[in-house]
Amino acid sequence: MDGIPPENFVTMIEAVHKYGRYGPLGKNKEKTMDKTIETIYTGILDGNQHLVAQQVTEALNAGLSPDLILKNGLVAAMSEVGRLFENGEYYVPEMLIAARAMQAGLKLLKPSLADTGVKAVGRVVIGTVAGDLHEIGKNLVGMMLEGAGFEVIDLGTDIKPEAFVNAVREYKPDIMAMSALLTTTMPNMEATIKALEGAGLRKQVKVIIGGAPITEEYANRIGADGFGYDASLAVKVARSLIGG
Amino acid sequence: MNSLERLKHRLRGEGVDRPPNLDIVMTFAAHHIGRPLSQFYLDHRVLVDANLCVAEDFNLDIVQAISDPFREAADFGLEVDFPSDSLPVNRKPLLVAPEDIKKLVAPNPATGPRMSDRVEATRLFREKVGGELPIMGWVEGALAEAADLRSVYETMKDLIQRPLWLEELLEICVQVAIAFARVQVEAGADIIGLGDAVASQISPAMYRRFALPYEQRIFQAVHEMGALARLHICGNTNRIIADMVESGADIIDLDWMVDMKCAAEQFGNKVSFLGNMDPVAVMLQGTPAKVLAATAYCMKVGGPRAISGAGCEVPDGTPHENFHAQSRALSKIGGFEG
Repeated sequence: MDGIPPENFVTMIEAVHKYGRYGPLGKNKEKTMDKTIETIYTGILDGNQHLVAQQVTEALNAGLSPDLILKNGLVAAMSEVGRLFENGEYYVPEMLIAARAMQAGLKLLKPSLADTGVKAVGRVVIGTVAGDLHEIGKNLVGMMLEGAGFEVIDLGTDIKPEAFVNAVREYKPDIMAMSALLTTTMPNMEATIKALEGAGLRKQVKVIIGGAPITEEYANRIGADGFGYDASLAVKVARSLIGG
Repeated sequence: MNSLERLKHRLRGEGVDRPPNLDIVMTFAAHHIGRPLSQFYLDHRVLVDANLCVAEDFNLDIVQAISDPFREAADFGLEVDFPSDSLPVNRKPLLVAPEDIKKLVAPNPATGPRMSDRVEATRLFREKVGGELPIMGWVEGALAEAADLRSVYETMKDLIQRPLWLEELLEICVQVAIAFARVQVEAGADIIGLGDAVASQISPAMYRRFALPYEQRIFQAVHEMGALARLHICGNTNRIIADMVESGADIIDLDWMVDMKCAAEQFGNKVSFLGNMDPVAVMLQGTPAKVLAATAYCMKVGGPRAISGAGCEVPDGTPHENFHAQSRALSKIGGFEG
Protein backbone atom coordinates (compact mmCIF):
# COMPACT_ATOMS: atom_id res chain seq x y z
CA MET A 1 0.00 0.00 0.00
CA ASP A 2 1.40 3.34 -1.01
CA GLY A 3 1.67 6.10 1.59
CA ILE A 4 2.45 4.04 4.70
CA PRO A 5 4.61 6.18 7.00
CA PRO A 6 8.15 4.74 7.26
CA GLU A 7 8.04 4.96 11.07
CA ASN A 8 5.23 2.40 11.10
CA PHE A 9 7.52 -0.12 9.38
CA VAL A 10 10.18 0.62 12.00
CA THR A 11 7.66 -0.03 14.79
CA MET A 12 6.58 -3.28 13.15
CA ILE A 13 10.18 -4.51 12.81
CA GLU A 14 10.89 -3.62 16.43
CA ALA A 15 7.80 -5.53 17.52
CA VAL A 16 8.93 -8.61 15.61
CA HIS A 17 12.33 -8.41 17.29
CA LYS A 18 10.72 -7.95 20.69
CA TYR A 19 8.04 -10.61 20.56
CA GLY A 20 9.27 -13.12 18.02
CA ARG A 21 7.07 -14.93 15.53
CA TYR A 22 4.24 -15.56 17.97
CA GLY A 23 3.73 -11.97 19.08
CA PRO A 24 3.08 -10.82 22.67
CA LEU A 25 1.67 -13.78 24.60
CA GLY A 26 1.22 -11.95 27.84
CA LYS A 27 2.56 -14.75 30.03
CA ASN A 28 6.31 -15.24 30.10
CA LYS A 29 5.99 -18.98 30.58
CA GLU A 30 3.93 -19.43 27.47
CA LYS A 31 6.39 -17.33 25.53
CA THR A 32 9.30 -19.41 26.84
CA MET A 33 7.37 -22.58 26.06
CA ASP A 34 6.74 -21.59 22.48
CA LYS A 35 10.28 -20.40 21.96
CA THR A 36 11.82 -23.53 23.45
CA ILE A 37 9.64 -25.85 21.41
CA GLU A 38 10.27 -23.80 18.32
CA THR A 39 14.00 -24.10 18.93
CA ILE A 40 13.64 -27.87 19.33
CA TYR A 41 11.66 -27.95 16.09
CA THR A 42 14.18 -25.93 14.09
CA GLY A 43 17.07 -27.72 15.79
CA ILE A 44 15.77 -31.03 14.44
CA LEU A 45 15.29 -29.61 10.96
CA ASP A 46 18.89 -28.36 11.10
CA GLY A 47 20.14 -31.68 12.48
CA ASN A 48 21.63 -29.98 15.54
CA GLN A 49 21.54 -32.78 18.10
CA HIS A 50 23.33 -30.85 20.84
CA LEU A 51 20.92 -27.93 20.63
CA VAL A 52 17.92 -30.26 20.66
CA ALA A 53 19.20 -32.16 23.70
CA GLN A 54 19.90 -28.92 25.54
CA GLN A 55 16.50 -27.44 24.73
CA VAL A 56 14.59 -30.61 25.67
CA THR A 57 16.37 -30.57 29.04
CA GLU A 58 15.53 -26.90 29.43
CA ALA A 59 11.90 -27.51 28.51
CA LEU A 60 11.58 -30.33 31.03
CA ASN A 61 13.25 -28.25 33.75
CA ALA A 62 10.83 -25.43 32.99
CA GLY A 63 7.99 -27.83 33.71
CA LEU A 64 6.65 -28.19 30.20
CA SER A 65 4.53 -31.23 29.50
CA PRO A 66 6.61 -34.07 28.00
CA ASP A 67 3.67 -34.90 25.76
CA LEU A 68 3.66 -31.35 24.40
CA ILE A 69 7.42 -31.39 23.79
CA LEU A 70 7.02 -34.68 21.96
CA LYS A 71 4.07 -33.70 19.80
CA ASN A 72 4.76 -30.04 19.06
CA GLY A 73 8.53 -30.37 18.98
CA LEU A 74 9.81 -33.79 17.94
CA VAL A 75 6.87 -35.29 16.06
CA ALA A 76 5.98 -32.04 14.31
CA ALA A 77 9.58 -31.57 13.19
CA MET A 78 9.91 -35.10 11.85
CA SER A 79 6.63 -34.73 10.04
CA GLU A 80 8.10 -31.65 8.36
CA VAL A 81 11.28 -33.61 7.57
CA GLY A 82 9.09 -36.23 5.86
CA ARG A 83 7.34 -33.54 3.86
CA LEU A 84 10.62 -31.97 2.79
CA PHE A 85 11.91 -35.41 1.77
CA GLU A 86 8.82 -36.13 -0.29
CA ASN A 87 9.16 -32.73 -1.97
CA GLY A 88 12.80 -33.34 -2.86
CA GLU A 89 14.07 -30.58 -0.59
CA TYR A 90 15.69 -32.99 1.87
CA TYR A 91 17.69 -36.04 0.87
CA VAL A 92 19.09 -38.92 2.87
CA PRO A 93 21.93 -36.96 4.55
CA GLU A 94 19.61 -34.20 5.79
CA MET A 95 17.04 -36.76 6.89
CA LEU A 96 19.62 -38.80 8.77
CA ILE A 97 21.04 -35.96 10.80
CA ALA A 98 17.55 -34.61 11.54
CA ALA A 99 16.49 -38.04 12.78
CA ARG A 100 19.60 -38.30 14.89
CA ALA A 101 18.85 -34.93 16.50
CA MET A 102 15.29 -36.08 17.16
CA GLN A 103 16.64 -39.24 18.82
CA ALA A 104 18.92 -37.17 21.05
CA GLY A 105 15.85 -35.31 22.31
CA LEU A 106 13.71 -38.41 22.57
CA LYS A 107 16.29 -40.20 24.69
CA LEU A 108 16.02 -37.45 27.30
CA LEU A 109 12.27 -37.27 27.01
CA LYS A 110 11.51 -40.98 27.34
CA PRO A 111 11.71 -41.30 31.15
CA SER A 112 9.36 -38.32 31.57
CA LEU A 113 6.96 -39.71 28.98
CA ALA A 114 6.86 -43.00 30.89
CA ASP A 115 6.39 -41.19 34.24
CA THR A 116 3.45 -39.21 32.91
CA GLY A 117 1.85 -42.26 31.28
CA VAL A 118 2.19 -41.06 27.70
CA LYS A 119 1.85 -44.05 25.43
CA ALA A 120 3.43 -44.59 22.03
CA VAL A 121 1.02 -44.54 19.10
CA GLY A 122 2.06 -48.11 18.35
CA ARG A 123 4.88 -50.60 18.67
CA VAL A 124 7.00 -51.72 15.71
CA VAL A 125 9.67 -54.39 15.40
CA ILE A 126 11.92 -53.79 12.43
CA GLY A 127 14.86 -55.49 10.76
CA THR A 128 16.47 -56.39 7.47
CA VAL A 129 15.69 -59.91 6.32
CA ALA A 130 18.02 -62.90 6.45
CA GLY A 131 21.12 -62.43 4.33
CA ASP A 132 20.71 -58.68 3.94
CA LEU A 133 23.17 -56.39 5.69
CA HIS A 134 22.04 -53.13 4.10
CA GLU A 135 20.73 -51.16 7.02
CA ILE A 136 20.39 -47.58 5.91
CA GLY A 137 16.83 -47.88 4.63
CA LYS A 138 15.77 -49.82 7.69
CA ASN A 139 17.42 -47.25 9.97
CA LEU A 140 15.71 -44.37 8.21
CA VAL A 141 12.30 -46.01 8.44
CA GLY A 142 12.90 -46.84 12.10
CA MET A 143 13.88 -43.29 12.93
CA MET A 144 10.98 -41.79 11.01
CA LEU A 145 8.58 -44.11 12.84
CA GLU A 146 10.10 -43.05 16.15
CA GLY A 147 9.73 -39.48 15.07
CA ALA A 148 6.04 -40.15 14.44
CA GLY A 149 5.55 -41.35 18.00
CA PHE A 150 5.96 -45.11 17.51
CA GLU A 151 7.97 -47.27 19.86
CA VAL A 152 10.54 -48.97 17.64
CA ILE A 153 12.36 -52.16 18.50
CA ASP A 154 15.24 -52.49 16.05
CA LEU A 155 16.27 -56.11 15.62
CA GLY A 156 19.19 -55.13 13.36
CA THR A 157 20.33 -56.74 10.12
CA ASP A 158 20.32 -60.28 8.72
CA ILE A 159 17.29 -61.33 10.79
CA LYS A 160 16.22 -64.92 10.24
CA PRO A 161 12.49 -65.71 9.97
CA GLU A 162 12.48 -67.45 13.36
CA ALA A 163 14.08 -64.38 14.98
CA PHE A 164 11.29 -62.17 13.59
CA VAL A 165 8.75 -64.70 14.91
CA ASN A 166 10.37 -64.71 18.35
CA ALA A 167 10.37 -60.93 18.43
CA VAL A 168 6.67 -60.81 17.58
CA ARG A 169 5.98 -63.34 20.31
CA GLU A 170 8.07 -61.46 22.86
CA TYR A 171 7.26 -57.82 22.13
CA LYS A 172 3.72 -58.19 20.79
CA PRO A 173 4.14 -55.33 18.31
CA ASP A 174 1.35 -53.76 16.30
CA ILE A 175 3.56 -53.81 13.22
CA MET A 176 6.44 -55.92 11.97
CA ALA A 177 8.57 -54.12 9.37
CA MET A 178 10.99 -55.89 7.04
CA SER A 179 13.54 -54.35 4.70
CA ALA A 180 15.53 -55.85 1.80
CA LEU A 181 17.82 -54.14 -0.69
CA LEU A 182 18.60 -57.16 -2.80
CA THR A 183 16.54 -59.26 -5.15
CA THR A 184 18.39 -62.25 -3.74
CA THR A 185 17.23 -61.59 -0.15
CA MET A 186 13.74 -60.37 -1.05
CA PRO A 187 12.26 -63.93 -0.99
CA ASN A 188 13.10 -64.08 2.73
CA MET A 189 10.25 -61.64 3.31
CA GLU A 190 7.82 -64.25 2.09
CA ALA A 191 9.59 -66.92 4.14
CA THR A 192 9.23 -64.75 7.25
CA ILE A 193 5.52 -64.19 6.67
CA LYS A 194 5.08 -67.93 6.23
CA ALA A 195 7.00 -68.51 9.47
CA LEU A 196 4.64 -66.10 11.23
CA GLU A 197 1.68 -68.03 9.84
CA GLY A 198 3.26 -71.30 10.92
CA ALA A 199 3.64 -69.98 14.45
CA GLY A 200 0.01 -68.87 14.51
CA LEU A 201 0.99 -65.22 14.97
CA ARG A 202 0.13 -63.74 11.58
CA LYS A 203 -3.22 -62.30 12.64
CA GLN A 204 -1.72 -60.60 15.68
CA VAL A 205 0.51 -58.25 13.73
CA LYS A 206 0.45 -56.08 10.62
CA VAL A 207 3.38 -56.64 8.27
CA ILE A 208 4.93 -53.85 6.21
CA ILE A 209 7.83 -54.24 3.80
CA GLY A 210 10.13 -51.97 1.84
CA GLY A 211 13.43 -51.69 0.01
CA ALA A 212 14.76 -50.89 -3.46
CA PRO A 213 13.47 -54.00 -5.30
CA ILE A 214 10.11 -54.13 -3.53
CA THR A 215 6.92 -53.25 -5.36
CA GLU A 216 3.34 -52.97 -4.20
CA GLU A 217 2.51 -55.91 -6.42
CA TYR A 218 5.14 -58.01 -4.66
CA ALA A 219 3.88 -56.93 -1.24
CA ASN A 220 0.37 -58.00 -2.17
CA ARG A 221 1.57 -61.27 -3.62
CA ILE A 222 3.42 -62.38 -0.48
CA GLY A 223 0.59 -61.31 1.81
CA ALA A 224 2.11 -58.20 3.41
CA ASP A 225 -0.33 -55.62 4.75
CA GLY A 226 1.55 -52.60 3.48
CA PHE A 227 4.42 -51.35 1.36
CA GLY A 228 6.37 -48.14 1.85
CA TYR A 229 8.10 -46.74 -1.22
CA ASP A 230 10.33 -44.63 1.01
CA ALA A 231 10.84 -43.83 4.69
CA SER A 232 8.32 -41.02 4.74
CA LEU A 233 5.59 -43.03 3.05
CA ALA A 234 6.33 -46.00 5.33
CA VAL A 235 5.22 -43.84 8.26
CA LYS A 236 1.94 -43.02 6.53
CA VAL A 237 1.33 -46.70 5.82
CA ALA A 238 2.12 -47.63 9.43
CA ARG A 239 -0.23 -44.96 10.74
CA SER A 240 -3.03 -46.09 8.45
CA LEU A 241 -2.61 -49.72 9.50
CA ILE A 242 -3.13 -48.95 13.16
CA GLY A 243 -5.93 -46.55 12.42
CA GLY A 244 -3.86 -43.49 13.26
CA MET B 1 28.27 -55.79 -38.01
CA ASN B 2 29.79 -57.12 -34.79
CA SER B 3 28.88 -55.89 -31.32
CA LEU B 4 31.76 -53.46 -31.03
CA GLU B 5 30.92 -51.88 -34.38
CA ARG B 6 27.25 -51.85 -33.46
CA LEU B 7 27.98 -49.94 -30.25
CA LYS B 8 30.33 -47.43 -31.84
CA HIS B 9 27.89 -46.68 -34.65
CA ARG B 10 25.03 -46.33 -32.22
CA LEU B 11 26.95 -43.91 -30.00
CA ARG B 12 27.42 -41.67 -33.03
CA GLY B 13 23.74 -41.93 -33.93
CA GLU B 14 24.60 -43.84 -37.11
CA GLY B 15 22.70 -46.76 -38.61
CA VAL B 16 22.90 -50.16 -36.95
CA ASP B 17 21.24 -53.53 -37.58
CA ARG B 18 19.67 -53.40 -34.12
CA PRO B 19 20.14 -51.37 -30.94
CA PRO B 20 22.90 -52.83 -28.76
CA ASN B 21 22.10 -54.60 -25.51
CA LEU B 22 24.45 -53.66 -22.66
CA ASP B 23 22.67 -55.32 -19.74
CA ILE B 24 24.70 -55.69 -16.56
CA VAL B 25 24.91 -59.31 -15.42
CA MET B 26 26.70 -60.55 -12.32
CA THR B 27 24.97 -63.09 -10.05
CA PHE B 28 22.83 -64.19 -12.99
CA ALA B 29 25.95 -64.92 -15.04
CA ALA B 30 27.66 -66.99 -12.34
CA HIS B 31 24.61 -69.17 -11.80
CA HIS B 32 23.95 -69.40 -15.53
CA ILE B 33 27.10 -71.51 -15.83
CA GLY B 34 26.40 -73.30 -12.57
CA ARG B 35 29.21 -71.75 -10.54
CA PRO B 36 28.94 -70.46 -6.97
CA LEU B 37 29.22 -66.72 -6.52
CA SER B 38 32.48 -66.86 -4.56
CA GLN B 39 34.23 -68.32 -7.61
CA PHE B 40 32.78 -65.57 -9.80
CA TYR B 41 34.16 -62.93 -7.41
CA LEU B 42 37.55 -64.48 -6.78
CA ASP B 43 38.55 -66.18 -10.04
CA HIS B 44 38.60 -64.08 -13.18
CA ARG B 45 38.44 -67.22 -15.36
CA VAL B 46 35.00 -68.02 -13.97
CA LEU B 47 33.86 -64.43 -14.46
CA VAL B 48 35.06 -64.49 -18.07
CA ASP B 49 33.43 -67.86 -18.85
CA ALA B 50 30.16 -66.71 -17.31
CA ASN B 51 30.11 -63.49 -19.32
CA LEU B 52 30.94 -65.16 -22.61
CA CYS B 53 28.23 -67.72 -22.07
CA VAL B 54 25.56 -65.13 -21.19
CA ALA B 55 26.58 -62.90 -24.11
CA GLU B 56 26.20 -65.80 -26.50
CA ASP B 57 23.00 -67.25 -25.04
CA PHE B 58 21.14 -63.94 -24.74
CA ASN B 59 22.72 -61.84 -27.53
CA LEU B 60 24.37 -59.33 -25.25
CA ASP B 61 26.68 -56.83 -26.90
CA ILE B 62 29.11 -56.65 -24.02
CA VAL B 63 31.37 -58.62 -21.73
CA GLN B 64 32.12 -57.04 -18.41
CA ALA B 65 34.58 -57.25 -15.54
CA ILE B 66 32.10 -55.84 -13.02
CA SER B 67 31.37 -58.22 -10.14
CA ASP B 68 30.91 -56.47 -6.78
CA PRO B 69 31.72 -53.11 -5.17
CA PHE B 70 34.63 -54.35 -3.06
CA ARG B 71 37.52 -54.72 -5.52
CA GLU B 72 39.28 -51.49 -4.59
CA ALA B 73 38.10 -51.49 -0.97
CA ALA B 74 39.45 -54.99 -0.31
CA ASP B 75 42.84 -53.95 -1.64
CA PHE B 76 42.71 -50.85 0.56
CA GLY B 77 42.45 -53.35 3.43
CA LEU B 78 38.71 -53.67 4.02
CA GLU B 79 37.78 -57.07 5.45
CA VAL B 80 35.47 -58.80 2.99
CA ASP B 81 34.11 -62.32 3.41
CA PHE B 82 33.08 -64.45 0.47
CA PRO B 83 30.48 -67.01 1.49
CA SER B 84 30.39 -69.90 -0.93
CA ASP B 85 27.32 -68.89 -2.88
CA SER B 86 26.12 -65.52 -1.70
CA LEU B 87 27.16 -61.90 -1.96
CA PRO B 88 30.41 -60.62 -0.45
CA VAL B 89 30.00 -59.42 3.10
CA ASN B 90 31.70 -56.58 4.94
CA ARG B 91 30.78 -56.24 8.60
CA LYS B 92 33.12 -53.48 9.74
CA PRO B 93 34.18 -50.38 7.83
CA LEU B 94 37.86 -49.66 7.34
CA LEU B 95 37.48 -46.03 8.37
CA VAL B 96 35.65 -46.40 11.67
CA ALA B 97 36.87 -43.05 12.95
CA PRO B 98 37.77 -40.03 10.79
CA GLU B 99 41.40 -40.15 11.99
CA ASP B 100 41.74 -43.62 10.46
CA ILE B 101 42.26 -41.83 7.15
CA LYS B 102 45.86 -41.25 8.22
CA LYS B 103 46.48 -45.01 8.06
CA LEU B 104 44.93 -45.38 4.61
CA VAL B 105 47.38 -46.59 1.97
CA ALA B 106 46.32 -46.42 -1.67
CA PRO B 107 46.56 -49.85 -3.29
CA ASN B 108 48.45 -50.59 -6.48
CA PRO B 109 45.83 -51.86 -8.96
CA ALA B 110 48.41 -53.93 -10.81
CA THR B 111 49.33 -55.93 -7.72
CA GLY B 112 46.35 -55.70 -5.35
CA PRO B 113 44.86 -59.22 -5.34
CA ARG B 114 41.29 -58.25 -6.13
CA MET B 115 42.03 -55.36 -8.46
CA SER B 116 44.62 -57.30 -10.46
CA ASP B 117 42.12 -60.17 -10.78
CA ARG B 118 39.78 -57.76 -12.58
CA VAL B 119 42.66 -56.64 -14.79
CA GLU B 120 43.31 -60.28 -15.64
CA ALA B 121 39.64 -60.69 -16.55
CA THR B 122 39.96 -57.78 -18.94
CA ARG B 123 43.09 -59.28 -20.46
CA LEU B 124 41.44 -62.66 -20.94
CA PHE B 125 38.41 -61.02 -22.53
CA ARG B 126 40.75 -59.35 -25.03
CA GLU B 127 42.34 -62.67 -25.88
CA LYS B 128 38.99 -64.31 -26.46
CA VAL B 129 36.74 -61.63 -27.99
CA GLY B 130 38.84 -58.49 -28.42
CA GLY B 131 37.64 -56.37 -31.33
CA GLU B 132 34.34 -58.25 -31.52
CA LEU B 133 32.51 -57.66 -28.24
CA PRO B 134 32.98 -54.44 -26.28
CA ILE B 135 34.97 -55.20 -23.14
CA MET B 136 33.91 -53.21 -20.10
CA GLY B 137 36.19 -52.63 -17.14
CA TRP B 138 34.82 -51.10 -13.98
CA VAL B 139 35.76 -48.68 -11.19
CA GLU B 140 33.96 -47.33 -8.18
CA GLY B 141 33.23 -43.61 -8.32
CA ALA B 142 35.12 -41.66 -5.67
CA LEU B 143 32.02 -41.10 -3.54
CA ALA B 144 30.92 -44.72 -3.82
CA GLU B 145 34.42 -45.84 -2.86
CA ALA B 146 34.42 -43.51 0.14
CA ALA B 147 31.14 -45.12 1.22
CA ASP B 148 32.65 -48.59 0.75
CA LEU B 149 35.51 -47.68 3.08
CA ARG B 150 33.54 -45.64 5.61
CA SER B 151 30.00 -47.16 5.33
CA VAL B 152 27.10 -45.52 3.54
CA TYR B 153 25.55 -44.50 6.83
CA GLU B 154 28.59 -42.55 8.07
CA THR B 155 29.32 -41.10 4.63
CA MET B 156 25.82 -39.63 4.46
CA LYS B 157 26.51 -37.82 7.72
CA ASP B 158 30.07 -36.86 6.69
CA LEU B 159 28.61 -34.98 3.71
CA ILE B 160 27.17 -32.48 6.16
CA GLN B 161 29.38 -32.77 9.23
CA ARG B 162 32.90 -33.05 7.85
CA PRO B 163 32.88 -32.04 4.18
CA LEU B 164 36.57 -31.11 4.06
CA TRP B 165 37.57 -34.43 5.55
CA LEU B 166 35.38 -36.18 3.01
CA GLU B 167 37.02 -34.29 0.18
CA GLU B 168 40.40 -35.45 1.46
CA LEU B 169 39.14 -39.04 1.25
CA LEU B 170 37.61 -38.46 -2.19
CA GLU B 171 40.97 -37.24 -3.47
CA ILE B 172 42.58 -40.52 -2.46
CA CYS B 173 39.73 -42.49 -4.02
CA VAL B 174 39.76 -40.62 -7.32
CA GLN B 175 43.46 -41.25 -7.82
CA VAL B 176 43.00 -44.97 -7.19
CA ALA B 177 40.05 -45.03 -9.62
CA ILE B 178 42.11 -43.41 -12.39
CA ALA B 179 45.04 -45.76 -11.82
CA PHE B 180 42.66 -48.74 -11.80
CA ALA B 181 40.99 -47.58 -15.01
CA ARG B 182 44.36 -47.18 -16.67
CA VAL B 183 45.56 -50.75 -16.08
CA GLN B 184 42.19 -52.09 -17.27
CA VAL B 185 42.35 -50.05 -20.48
CA GLU B 186 45.94 -51.18 -21.03
CA ALA B 187 44.75 -54.78 -20.58
CA GLY B 188 42.03 -54.39 -23.17
CA ALA B 189 38.98 -52.55 -21.82
CA ASP B 190 37.06 -50.62 -24.50
CA ILE B 191 34.76 -49.08 -21.91
CA ILE B 192 35.27 -48.10 -18.29
CA GLY B 193 32.06 -48.22 -16.30
CA LEU B 194 31.87 -46.14 -13.16
CA GLY B 195 29.42 -46.97 -10.37
CA ASP B 196 28.40 -44.16 -8.03
CA ALA B 197 25.23 -45.53 -6.47
CA VAL B 198 25.13 -43.33 -3.38
CA ALA B 199 24.94 -40.27 -5.61
CA SER B 200 21.21 -40.84 -6.11
CA GLN B 201 20.62 -40.37 -2.37
CA ILE B 202 22.00 -36.84 -2.13
CA SER B 203 20.87 -33.42 -3.25
CA PRO B 204 21.86 -31.96 -6.62
CA ALA B 205 24.04 -29.41 -4.82
CA MET B 206 25.88 -32.17 -2.98
CA TYR B 207 26.18 -34.18 -6.18
CA ARG B 208 27.81 -31.21 -7.88
CA ARG B 209 30.35 -30.86 -5.08
CA PHE B 210 31.07 -34.41 -3.91
CA ALA B 211 30.46 -36.68 -6.92
CA LEU B 212 30.45 -34.88 -10.26
CA PRO B 213 33.93 -33.29 -10.18
CA TYR B 214 35.49 -36.68 -9.44
CA GLU B 215 33.45 -38.43 -12.14
CA GLN B 216 34.64 -35.74 -14.57
CA ARG B 217 38.28 -36.30 -13.65
CA ILE B 218 38.00 -40.07 -14.05
CA PHE B 219 36.18 -39.82 -17.39
CA GLN B 220 38.58 -37.24 -18.74
CA ALA B 221 41.43 -39.61 -17.91
CA VAL B 222 39.53 -42.55 -19.47
CA HIS B 223 39.06 -40.60 -22.68
CA GLU B 224 42.75 -39.67 -22.74
CA MET B 225 43.47 -43.41 -22.44
CA GLY B 226 41.35 -43.94 -25.56
CA ALA B 227 38.39 -45.73 -23.96
CA LEU B 228 34.70 -44.97 -23.65
CA ALA B 229 33.08 -43.94 -20.35
CA ARG B 230 29.84 -45.27 -18.88
CA LEU B 231 28.20 -43.75 -15.81
CA HIS B 232 25.97 -45.97 -13.66
CA ILE B 233 24.06 -44.47 -10.74
CA CYS B 234 21.37 -46.75 -9.33
CA GLY B 235 18.17 -45.18 -8.09
CA ASN B 236 16.14 -42.13 -8.91
CA THR B 237 18.42 -39.65 -10.68
CA ASN B 238 15.73 -37.49 -12.28
CA ARG B 239 16.95 -34.43 -10.39
CA ILE B 240 20.61 -34.81 -11.38
CA ILE B 241 20.34 -35.89 -15.02
CA ALA B 242 21.49 -32.51 -16.32
CA ASP B 243 24.53 -32.68 -14.04
CA MET B 244 25.27 -36.30 -14.96
CA VAL B 245 25.45 -35.25 -18.60
CA GLU B 246 28.26 -32.88 -17.58
CA SER B 247 30.30 -35.85 -16.29
CA GLY B 248 31.60 -36.43 -19.80
CA ALA B 249 30.26 -40.00 -19.95
CA ASP B 250 29.55 -41.41 -23.41
CA ILE B 251 26.85 -43.67 -21.96
CA ILE B 252 24.61 -42.82 -19.02
CA ASP B 253 22.62 -45.64 -17.42
CA LEU B 254 19.13 -44.73 -16.27
CA ASP B 255 17.50 -46.77 -13.54
CA TRP B 256 13.87 -47.73 -14.01
CA MET B 257 12.40 -44.84 -12.03
CA VAL B 258 13.98 -42.24 -14.30
CA ASP B 259 11.97 -40.68 -17.11
CA MET B 260 13.98 -41.84 -20.14
CA LYS B 261 11.79 -39.94 -22.56
CA CYS B 262 12.36 -36.67 -20.76
CA ALA B 263 16.10 -37.32 -20.40
CA ALA B 264 16.46 -38.17 -24.10
CA GLU B 265 14.43 -35.18 -25.23
CA GLN B 266 16.65 -32.83 -23.27
CA PHE B 267 20.09 -34.38 -23.65
CA GLY B 268 19.83 -37.16 -26.25
CA ASN B 269 21.93 -35.13 -28.68
CA LYS B 270 24.83 -35.02 -26.22
CA VAL B 271 24.96 -38.52 -24.78
CA SER B 272 23.60 -42.06 -25.18
CA PHE B 273 21.15 -43.11 -22.51
CA LEU B 274 20.98 -46.75 -21.54
CA GLY B 275 17.91 -48.28 -20.03
CA ASN B 276 15.67 -48.57 -18.47
CA MET B 277 13.32 -51.46 -17.80
CA ASP B 278 12.53 -52.25 -14.18
CA PRO B 279 14.91 -55.13 -13.41
CA VAL B 280 12.53 -56.61 -10.84
CA ALA B 281 8.98 -55.87 -11.99
CA VAL B 282 9.76 -56.39 -15.69
CA MET B 283 12.79 -58.66 -16.04
CA LEU B 284 12.48 -60.83 -12.95
CA GLN B 285 8.75 -60.87 -12.27
CA GLY B 286 7.33 -59.84 -15.64
CA THR B 287 6.37 -61.83 -18.71
CA PRO B 288 7.99 -62.00 -22.15
CA ALA B 289 5.20 -59.77 -23.45
CA LYS B 290 5.97 -57.21 -20.75
CA VAL B 291 9.69 -57.29 -21.56
CA LEU B 292 9.01 -56.92 -25.29
CA ALA B 293 6.80 -53.89 -24.70
CA ALA B 294 9.19 -52.27 -22.23
CA THR B 295 12.22 -52.77 -24.49
CA ALA B 296 10.40 -51.34 -27.49
CA TYR B 297 9.16 -48.36 -25.48
CA CYS B 298 12.62 -47.52 -24.13
CA MET B 299 14.20 -47.66 -27.58
CA LYS B 300 11.41 -45.54 -29.03
CA VAL B 301 11.65 -42.76 -26.47
CA GLY B 302 15.44 -43.00 -26.11
CA GLY B 303 16.05 -41.92 -29.69
CA PRO B 304 18.63 -42.97 -32.28
CA ARG B 305 21.52 -43.21 -29.80
CA ALA B 306 19.69 -45.15 -27.08
CA ILE B 307 21.07 -48.43 -25.79
CA SER B 308 19.01 -51.22 -24.32
CA GLY B 309 19.42 -52.47 -20.78
CA ALA B 310 17.62 -53.06 -17.54
CA GLY B 311 17.78 -50.14 -15.10
CA CYS B 312 20.27 -52.06 -13.00
CA GLU B 313 21.74 -55.56 -12.80
CA VAL B 314 19.58 -58.26 -14.40
CA PRO B 315 18.58 -60.16 -11.25
CA ASP B 316 19.54 -63.71 -10.54
CA GLY B 317 16.56 -65.92 -11.29
CA THR B 318 15.34 -63.85 -14.22
CA PRO B 319 13.40 -66.28 -16.45
CA HIS B 320 15.32 -67.10 -19.61
CA GLU B 321 12.26 -66.41 -21.75
CA ASN B 322 12.20 -62.85 -20.41
CA PHE B 323 15.86 -62.33 -21.23
CA HIS B 324 15.29 -63.77 -24.72
CA ALA B 325 12.33 -61.44 -25.14
CA GLN B 326 14.61 -58.42 -24.79
CA SER B 327 16.80 -59.77 -27.57
CA ARG B 328 13.77 -60.50 -29.77
CA ALA B 329 12.45 -57.01 -29.22
CA LEU B 330 15.74 -55.44 -30.31
CA SER B 331 15.89 -57.58 -33.47
CA LYS B 332 12.32 -56.62 -34.26
CA ILE B 333 13.06 -52.93 -33.80
CA GLY B 334 15.91 -53.41 -36.23
CA GLY B 335 18.14 -50.70 -37.49
CA PHE B 336 18.12 -47.01 -37.84
CA GLU B 337 19.51 -45.49 -40.97
CA GLY B 338 21.65 -42.73 -39.60
